[in-house]
Amino acid sequence: MIKYVSKKMNKGYGLLIFLGVLLAMLGGCASNDKKQEDGKLKIYTSFYTMYDFTSKIAGDKAEVVNLVENGTEPHDWEPSTTDMTKLEEADMLVYNGAGMEHWIEQVTSSLENNIVLVEASNGVELISDELSQGNSDPHVWLDAKNAKIEMENIKNALVKIDEENAQYYESNYEKYATMFDELDSELTNRLGALKSKNIIVSHEAFSYLCKAYGLTQVSIGDLEADAEPDANRIAQIVEFAKTNQVKTIFFEELVSPKVANVIANEVGADTAVLNPVEGLTEDQMDAGEDYFSIMRSNMDALEKALN
Amino acid sequence: MLLQYDFMRKAFIVGILLAIIIPCIGMIVVLRRLSMTGDALSHMSLAGVALGLVIGINPVLGATLACIIAAFGIEFIRKRFNHYADMAIAIIMSTGVGLAGVLSGFVSNTSNFNSFLFGSIVAITNFELVMVILISVIVMLTFVLLYKELMYLAFDENSARLSKVPVKAINFIFTLLTALTVSIASRTVGALIISSLMVIPTACAMQYGKSYKQTLIYSIVFAVIFTVIGLTLSYYKGLKPGGTIVLTSVVFLLITLAVKGRKPN
Repeated sequence: MIKYVSKKMNKGYGLLIFLGVLLAMLGGCASNDKKQEDGKLKIYTSFYTMYDFTSKIAGDKAEVVNLVENGTEPHDWEPSTTDMTKLEEADMLVYNGAGMEHWIEQVTSSLENNIVLVEASNGVELISDELSQGNSDPHVWLDAKNAKIEMENIKNALVKIDEENAQYYESNYEKYATMFDELDSELTNRLGALKSKNIIVSHEAFSYLCKAYGLTQVSIGDLEADAEPDANRIAQIVEFAKTNQVKTIFFEELVSPKVANVIANEVGADTAVLNPVEGLTEDQMDAGEDYFSIMRSNMDALEKALN
Repeated sequence: MLLQYDFMRKAFIVGILLAIIIPCIGMIVVLRRLSMTGDALSHMSLAGVALGLVIGINPVLGATLACIIAAFGIEFIRKRFNHYADMAIAIIMSTGVGLAGVLSGFVSNTSNFNSFLFGSIVAITNFELVMVILISVIVMLTFVLLYKELMYLAFDENSARLSKVPVKAINFIFTLLTALTVSIASRTVGALIISSLMVIPTACAMQYGKSYKQTLIYSIVFAVIFTVIGLTLSYYKGLKPGGTIVLTSVVFLLITLAVKGRKPN
């Protein structure tokens, strides 16, 4: 009996020591204070659009790094352990919000540093689609007015943590704000003049573009970029395309065009790229493309398809 | 109505062909206690796709090669651990999942990766249609020509050897055919349909069939019925086709078990 008890106690002590060591290790992790050596801010962004907007404002005052690599579909992305280590050393993390980054809560709650979190879509009026079970489309930036709000949020956050360069950030913002206004009126004019207003797209990513500029989207998949379609849905879309004489089925560069091809085949239509500006391929980056140029290519593609 | 669309016609052709050949393979696989082969191989083929994209060879070729290596890997491990054949599946499957996970981290363009992962019976390209027809013809011919030999192999390799069946050669052919079928079919219609068609029709057929031949024929008939009902249902009810086919067969199996209420053999 005594032997038994003492054995049990030994086990208990062992466990306590083990827990103690674990705690000590955790404590060691927690105590790091971040300040970049070169005096530049270190900013991480959740995907391309955020990266584009942030680097346009921050210019050479910060090192802006995109978490999602070029050519990767951001909906599928999840942070790796290396990404987490990088984030521990960052000053700021810019993300879109509105449901775009499903990993954001988990990541931010496990970070130990006092990183500044910027939810760019803050203050944007969200569309909630009842048809997709309250799932809202996160692609708010496809309305140029929203894109401007997002950039303003980013600018405000930068001004707050780096007051020294406030003037610099403000003047950058002014420059791009005018460009957003121009883009917005160009979109309004050019898309407003289109003969047909119906677009068939591979995933429900264009609610904001459609709402702002008077188009209607019919999507093949759900909000998820790679959901398996059902046959009935495909048949419905084929019928829709036939009755509305849709000549082009749109797909996204970073998503498999398989289903778009099936439908295009069925109705004798073409396929074309409509880019939700979630990410750029390596080639597009090298060619110096950005939000504005992609939005203009989208306009060209829409004009070609709908006139 | 249902068949007015090209994509539905393709879905039915591919679905019925696979429903004929996969139970043929499945029957032997089940008798050898290797029911999860389909899963293990399709996971391995994902790793093959990733490897293909990373080192710059054609991903479909990569998938096929990975499947072949995995199938022979299962054979190798199975022979080493004679009484624990299912262990071979577990080992190969985890290797496949692990490899695919690690390798996909090196794939720079995930859209590429996704387009190879994404198999759906209602989105079949002409190339895939041709491939499925080709592999179906090969599998059917082999099963007709080597019917006796394969049957011996399924039950007892030792007595097969005694009856002068060239076990090694037949084993090689069967392993190769399994690998090819899974790699082509899982890219075309998705891994889910493959692994379920491999086992569930055979399970149902075992309840009715009184001999090897009868069971085999029943399992093919069941598989074709499940696929046709599943596809039709998914079309009219707007359900995901892969899942509907699988659930149709599971429901049928449950009904069979309830009605029959006896163990196979």
